[in-house]
Amino acid sequence: MDQSEIDALLNAGGDKPEGGKSKKGKDAQSASPSNSAPVRRTEPEPPSDGQVISELDAVTAVTERETNKVMDQLDTISRLVGRQQELITQVMKHEGAQVPAVQEAIRDIMASGKEVQDKVFEAMDLMQFQDITRQKLERIVFHLRQIHDYIVDLLGTGLKSEGERASISRTIQSTGTTPDEKKAHADSVVEEYMKSKAKG
Amino acid sequence: MKILIVDDSSTMRRIIINTLSRIGYSDVVEAEHGKAGLEKLGQGGVEMIVTDWNMPEMDGLEFVQTVRGQNPNIPILMVTTNAAKEDIVQALQAGVNNYVVKPFTPDTLKEKIESLLG
Repeated sequence: MDQSEIDALLNAGGDKPEGGKSKKGKDAQSASPSNSAPVRRTEPEPPSDGQVISELDAVTAVTERETNKVMDQLDTISRLVGRQQELITQVMKHEGAQVPAVQEAIRDIMASGKEVQDKVFEAMDLMQFQDITRQKLERIVFHLRQIHDYIVDLLGTGLKSEGERASISRTIQSTGTTPDEKKAHADSVVEEYMKSKAKG
Repeated sequence: MKILIVDDSSTMRRIIINTLSRIGYSDVVEAEHGKAGLEKLGQGGVEMIVTDWNMPEMDGLEFVQTVRGQNPNIPILMVTTNAAKEDIVQALQAGVNNYVVKPFTPDTLKEKIESLLG
């Protein structure tokens, strides 16, 4: 943090420093032109906490949108493979395709199509990473908010972060990344609970 | 068999719907949080619920508790990133019948759904 940012922080009573480093891209350039002193804004910027949250929202919205685009493409591939399988089935019934060697070749093509279909489904399932990543980011923001509020309390100035918008997982550590990584653990807890409930 | 899927992630809802359709359950209704889930449930016909935990408006735990207050028998499967033992126990106490931790494989979802439907 340079002196202008410290001054801005003190003057703004906890608001984000003017021409601050946290401002990104073109906005940052226009807010603080190079080789000139930071320009004081007439309106206070939103607290940095709000900016972090809105940036997080933007990141998750973009990744969710793009993940859905990938899912659309996978859906299309899946439909095309399905259509191909239907066409091949029709070809198999054709008089000219009754030669054993041709039938065998067609069966190989069908098997290969099934493999493609399975891989497409597998890829769709792997898209769960988007939701996992989003929840991990939310957990990070939760910690950032706590730090932000602690500093606000310490300095006695500035705005505290807004309330929780959604419930979040207790820890990032307990979140798995590999499919079914936590299955055995969850199953054993459920089983133990059911047994103790049955015993009364 | 109509299944209600409650999850704030559209990607996740899509993955669950896709998996369900592959195992023969294509009659699904979607909701993006617990409050919307209760509205869908109120429209009738739902025979099973698959719900997330961490959601805005009304989280999965509150949703399950509310549903259980109205319908003690409908099978509820919770599918969430929350993997801590105390979370799983809390969900079971709230009334879920079984629990799946994300990320999951389609086989796991199939196994849980089929076991709940007997």
